[in-house]
Amino acid sequence: MTALAHGIGAQHDLPLSPFYAFAGAFTALFVSFLALGLLWSASRFRGDRAGRPVPAAVQRLADARPTRTALRALGLAAGLSVVLHLLLGPDDPERNPAPGAVYVLLWVGLVPASLLLGPVWRLVNPLRTVHLAACRLLHRDPEGGRPLPARLGLWPGAAGILAFTWLELVAPDPASATALLLFLALHTAVQLAGAARHGAGWFDHADAFEVYSGLLARLSPLGRRPADGRLVLRSPFNGLDATPQLPGLVATVCVMLGSTAYDGFSDSPSWITTVQTSPLGRTATATLGLLAAVALVTTLYALCSGAVRLISGRIRHPLPSFAHSLVPIALGYLVAHYFTLFVTEGPRTVMMAFGADDPAPPDPLLGPGGVATLQVLAIVLGHVLGVVAAHDRSVRLFPPGRAVAGQLPLLILMITYTVGGLSLLIV
Amino acid sequence: MKRLRRRPGASRPVVTAVTLLTAGALVFGASACGGRATTHHKPGTSHEQAHGNTGRLLAADDGSGNRLREVEAEGAPAVTVAVRRDSEDGWNVHLSVRNFRFTPDSVGGGALLGRGHARLFLDGRPLARVYGSWYHLPDALVRGAGGGTGLTAGLYADDHTAWAVNGAPVRAAASLAASSGKPAPGTTRSEEPRPDTVLEITLSRGKVSPAPGRTEIKKGGTVQLRVRSDRDDELHVHGYDKKAQLLAGRTVTLTFTADRNGLFEVETHGAGLLLTQLVVR
Repeated sequence: MTALAHGIGAQHDLPLSPFYAFAGAFTALFVSFLALGLLWSASRFRGDRAGRPVPAAVQRLADARPTRTALRALGLAAGLSVVLHLLLGPDDPERNPAPGAVYVLLWVGLVPASLLLGPVWRLVNPLRTVHLAACRLLHRDPEGGRPLPARLGLWPGAAGILAFTWLELVAPDPASATALLLFLALHTAVQLAGAARHGAGWFDHADAFEVYSGLLARLSPLGRRPADGRLVLRSPFNGLDATPQLPGLVATVCVMLGSTAYDGFSDSPSWITTVQTSPLGRTATATLGLLAAVALVTTLYALCSGAVRLISGRIRHPLPSFAHSLVPIALGYLVAHYFTLFVTEGPRTVMMAFGADDPAPPDPLLGPGGVATLQVLAIVLGHVLGVVAAHDRSVRLFPPGRAVAGQLPLLILMITYTVGGLSLLIV
Repeated sequence: MKRLRRRPGASRPVVTAVTLLTAGALVFGASACGGRATTHHKPGTSHEQAHGNTGRLLAADDGSGNRLREVEAEGAPAVTVAVRRDSEDGWNVHLSVRNFRFTPDSVGGGALLGRGHARLFLDGRPLARVYGSWYHLPDALVRGAGGGTGLTAGLYADDHTAWAVNGAPVRAAASLAASSGKPAPGTTRSEEPRPDTVLEITLSRGKVSPAPGRTEIKKGGTVQLRVRSDRDDELHVHGYDKKAQLLAGRTVTLTFTADRNGLFEVETHGAGLLLTQLVVR
């Protein structure tokens, strides 16, 4: 996290030794082709219909009004506290918990929280609460408003994630109070304006944090069955399979993959030299780098889906049909890149929030070998989950004779992403 | 006395006896104060010097009457000294300390590892006591001390014992060579004489040469950064949080032990340039 070096995360993970990377790449290849030959030939995942209901008491507790209100109050209090810390606290990320709260506890913390509990941010999102309170005050229906144009889909969310990652990875001084306040003010203004126009449904599609959390929550064992509204425990594959194919889904996943890839890539001395010596200036060069990373990921995906269409003329829009299978790969990237940051800077931020002045980060949980193993495991496991999800989707969509051939381009794409992700950990 | 306060159950005669004893100790201590500088204590502190349990008190002294307090080499306080001719008068002395904090507040108290003050000597004669990393040494003081060029800095505990490793006081020397304005190279006696890795980096007009790269460093090794910048700036090693002021046109040396695994960045704070990355494993 070069750009954060001035604030959050003074230490980076060691570059991976090639042994781990080769082992990972080999496993990924092996599993991919094994999957082609051995996995089932009729679709098994049932998406939203799957799952075993949790005990009624648990569901009552989760859905109870006080629970929801408490969560909203918690989110609002945390949001206010961050803003107050930014406004009144020292403009020094070593002493102010606010930057760490946004970049580590919120952004990185959303990953484990969503994986465990589902789309949590929509329950605590302080902007939703503000919108709700305003609607109550004005006696308006919070869900009302003009319907969102269907072709908008997740596009505003994708743009929001790109904007946030730009702030995190590219902006000149991302941990400064000015930068964060400016971003939060803009974010709040856009979200509240959108919600005022389109109702609370706007947040589901346009709030970067909700979209991000919602997408990762597809892999959570905890889900809600739309048919009867029951909370269910389900296989992550079923959750993933139920990902709505909204416009902008591909873009969102590609932004997630591309920005994380850029984060890894931007640590390499050669890229830093390019940025430091570029005649365009640092911010412009780094912006181009981030956009190029996202564009590269997207182009590869587009090429792949073009190939799928060539092979099996039947599917008209293969582009979004397989986007869900990239979510686990993105998750693997996220875990590999941010695990250490989360376990060292997360507790440090909490200590700061409780009044410690410039506390020392706790000792890393894992030694260098442990971190390297975890990184490779995360990426390879993400790859395997992706392959399985894509396989099931392709046997459902393709005629039986073409299922194997049809998923070949996707397999190649995933191997490319995985090997790319591993090589980013070596540099 | 501290120990007694933690025992509220002590019966009255015992308290009286202890009070008498302590008063006696105080009188004894006060009477000793006329003697050597080693016995200056805040009122109420007894002769901690002999009882402090930090390190091991050696029989040898530092040459000026302060006994040595030996500690393990690992984690021991260390110092390097650099001097630079001041443009107006005398010298600017910079002490870079490691595993050490200046604690002027508690001088005279008991010895605590990694705390205390520094002393300067000129050709072996005591010159001044120093309570921070920078000290201005006026010409008059050098003359008053009888002149000389061999400046030595030593680290002392709050009870005025000299920190020592392997029987030798923790010291560093520099030369007040009147002719040159350059900072004299600091030499260290108690540390390892040669760093394991030396990185020379030059900054000129926002360009880093050699271009930023990665240096593999074995964990536990000593790293010395020699950085020359064409403008004033601050050098910072992230993770280890080592900082040094860069002065335009001068080579500034920063030495530290790489004792943590990880990838660490060496940067300047003013220009925000990455100089190099250290891969410690």
